Amino acid sequence: MSGDKLTAAELAASIKEGALQLTEHGENVSRLCTKAQSEFNIFINFNPNDITKESERLAGKVGSGAELPLAGVPFCLADNICTLELKTTCGSRMLASYRPLTEDGAVRRLKEKGALLAAKGNMDEFGIGAGGRNSFFGAIKNPCNPEHTGGSGAAAAVASGAVSFSLATDRCGELRQAAAYCGVLGLKPTYGRISRQGLIDSAPSMEQAGIIARQTKDLASALSIVCGADPQDPTSSSCGVPDFNALIEEKPRSVKIALPYLWDDLAALEGEVKDAIAALLCRLEGNYFSLETVPLEYFHHASTTAAMISAVEAFSNLSNYDGVRFGFRGESKHLHDMYRQTRTEGFSSNLKKFLTFGALISSGKYYHDCFLKAQKMRSLIKDELEKCLLQYDLLVVPTVPFKAPLLGSGISPLLPDFAAYYTAAASLAGLPALTFPLKDPAQKGGLPVAGLQLIGKAWDEKTLLQVSLLLEEELL
Amino acid sequence: MQEFETVIGLEVHVELLTRTKLFCGCSTAFGAAPNTQVCPVCLGLPGGMLPLLNKTAAEYTIKAALALNCTVTPNLTFDRKNYFYADLPKGFQISQFFYPMGTNGYLEIHHNGESKKIGIRQLHLEEDTGKLSHFGDIISSPYSRVDFNRAGVPLMEIVSEPDIRSAEEARLYLQKLRTILCYLGISDCKMEEGSMRCDANISLRPVGSSELGKKTELKNMNSFRSVFRGIEYEVERQRTILLSGDSIIPETRHWDEAKGITRAMRSKFVSADYRCFPDPNIPPFPVDTKWVESIQASIPELPDAKYYRFIEEYGLPPYDAEVLTGTKELADFYEEVLTCYREPKTVSNWIMSELMGHLNAAGIGITEAKIKAKDLGKLLQLVGKGEISGKMAKSVFEEMFATGEDPELIIKKQGLAQISDEDTLDGIINTVLAANPQSVQDYHSGKKKALGFLVGQIMKETKGQANPQLVNKMLEEKLKSS
Ligand SMILES: [Zn+2]
Repeated sequence: MSGDKLTAAELAASIKEGALQLTEHGENVSRLCTKAQSEFNIFINFNPNDITKESERLAGKVGSGAELPLAGVPFCLADNICTLELKTTCGSRMLASYRPLTEDGAVRRLKEKGALLAAKGNMDEFGIGAGGRNSFFGAIKNPCNPEHTGGSGAAAAVASGAVSFSLATDRCGELRQAAAYCGVLGLKPTYGRISRQGLIDSAPSMEQAGIIARQTKDLASALSIVCGADPQDPTSSSCGVPDFNALIEEKPRSVKIALPYLWDDLAALEGEVKDAIAALLCRLEGNYFSLETVPLEYFHHASTTAAMISAVEAFSNLSNYDGVRFGFRGESKHLHDMYRQTRTEGFSSNLKKFLTFGALISSGKYYHDCFLKAQKMRSLIKDELEKCLLQYDLLVVPTVPFKAPLLGSGISPLLPDFAAYYTAAASLAGLPALTFPLKDPAQKGGLPVAGLQLIGKAWDEKTLLQVSLLLEEELL
Repeated sequence: MQEFETVIGLEVHVELLTRTKLFCGCSTAFGAAPNTQVCPVCLGLPGGMLPLLNKTAAEYTIKAALALNCTVTPNLTFDRKNYFYADLPKGFQISQFFYPMGTNGYLEIHHNGESKKIGIRQLHLEEDTGKLSHFGDIISSPYSRVDFNRAGVPLMEIVSEPDIRSAEEARLYLQKLRTILCYLGISDCKMEEGSMRCDANISLRPVGSSELGKKTELKNMNSFRSVFRGIEYEVERQRTILLSGDSIIPETRHWDEAKGITRAMRSKFVSADYRCFPDPNIPPFPVDTKWVESIQASIPELPDAKYYRFIEEYGLPPYDAEVLTGTKELADFYEEVLTCYREPKTVSNWIMSELMGHLNAAGIGITEAKIKAKDLGKLLQLVGKGEISGKMAKSVFEEMFATGEDPELIIKKQGLAQISDEDTLDGIINTVLAANPQSVQDYHSGKKKALGFLVGQIMKETKGQANPQLVNKMLEEKLKSS
């Protein structure tokens, strides 16, 4: 049995009770991952022996009677999150053989609770949104239809059934977008919920680790473990972490939902996506939910704003890739030449365009005309969203305006980035957001139709999870 | 000939005396083997730990801001200054660009008995860089070496207003700054070791003009003396150019200590565009009033306050007060001597001539000297009471300086104590008078010189230890009555 239908908690229980042997289970996970890797290219530096070794280690731990709520639950880790035992490449040639000296705090917590690290997820170079089409290790295929992109290995691994959940980062919405492309759940918690120590991030003011899973209960299980203050991360919050597992059992009462006025007035919005979202919203009304349209002015500038800020931060954050101390080093005659060669050959042309964009808009007169204006717009977007969420429990919008793009279609790392049109606002405001998959009843081409995105109040992941569970169990 | 006014502003960097670096736990000790005091944070490794602010460094900087009369920022924030250089591991330097720790302060210099305030524009905290070494020039060097031990060491930058008018004022400003920072105990300010570095912005303008002339930035001055010499040279260079009708090229110039000249530096990276923005990894840290008050309370009496107090309380001339407050240790030494011997000017004279003469000759500071303040006080007491002569005291002092011994012990050992006991002296005088009847007769017949001869004989008899005043008095009384 693959564990495909079991929740993480149920799987862990059957392992603890001995109904499922860990070594046997490990072989099964290894087989599923190997198959998924060969079909969809979702992992980097994949080695089935790593899974065998890890499950043997866990078997010893289970035998010792330790409290392991995630015993044997297989998970995938996006390859910009550090572990001591595996390489961390960020999908870049620059770090193709890089082994970090530190381990991510969230990963450490998951391992302590018995979770089984299966493999590192393939990803766009440094997580910079190109819809899973800009990895040094090749494009990521969508398990629902391999001609289309899977967005990220972390999402595709969950969709393929190889793992129960994934831990990945979300910059301007990449985690949510990939989950929507693959038809699975994706949750980006409030900025500061999960320690950022151990991430190789490119947009530190927005980037936040989150969870991708097939079932809401698995989101809750993983979230309960990875959240919490980390003294090593001054941006992490000391805000109390509730037991999400218990909280999602409560049904939400009369959730007030806001829908931005003219949410569907976007040329890039595909008709199918629009119709599916509109139909769902109709069904929600009256059923636990009240729905109102609210005028949002700045929300629509979020993706442009986020692109600018994240480009400047990426330009700065990736300045340490100079070939001096680690990673790829270009052949060169002298120091300046070494920088140039290292960065010319180590980064992809898409990434270089993005970094150049960041360098440009933070220099000379553009500093005031673009970068500072973007910073001001960010405050306006944040204030507007927070004000709206004083009166409503949730804001709903599509996750991505379109279905998973075809592989081989053009990538635009620059503006306008319509993929982030609906996701960027929550990133800029640091608010929690969850994407819920809408499956196509007619199964045209096998691709999921869309994701419904729920944006919540700061620290209120609870409502997002409760609504997600309600949709999952009763409404769809 | 046209008269010019010199306008100088100084940018001073000092390394703070914290045990660890600004954002990680690495040691800041000087002189370790290259790249042994490093970690993922200060090496800028991907996925390394996040920067965690060293509160002591922040506290030291606030202390300096208060001591330099600055307004302290209510929020401690850090920004990224982005540029590429091999000695900068992250590709950006964490600094306080938008909100410096302190602004709008001043310090006072004293020159020829006059005081002058030099404005401090701002004072901020930042990370030091690593150290790069090439063989000659960066382009032609076959390879370059880099040591990251210094990368991330807390560095405080103090930027003065262009209020300095001469090389001498620059030297005095720098000296006063060092004195204050040493009083606070937050930096050792050793220019030779690089824990204090100084760049000077220098320009000239016609006397009476309020506009600033074109300036050059002078670097590579590694001692107080080279700051003075470098500025003197650069001012003269600019004056010559201006007098010949040419104009100054704004540029960075290097002071060449060996040749005694400044020369234009070949610019490597011309990048004034640092693209500064707040570092997202370091949230603002509130500087609350309580914290500032507790730091304020920990500040010792500063050199200027001490200087004015010494003049007021001890009636010292300004020059003495300036010298004695030059270091906190010397001022403390002076005041400790005073507790034993309350003659402020006499003590000052002894310290400024004898003690400082010996310290300079030995090339050591007051803290390394063996002589104790209490003992110097005791010695001066003995002189005051007439138990030893001033001349003897100097030789006792020599011994005290060399060995750190108690003056009374030295006097005893060397048999130097003055004989002031009247009974003892009476016997000696009688013996001498009996042995020299001719001189006694000469005295009575009006030859006053005979008295001097007799005193000399007594001193000879006592190996110079007899109290001369007492001998004179007793001898005269005895002769008159005989
Ligand atoms: Zn370090």
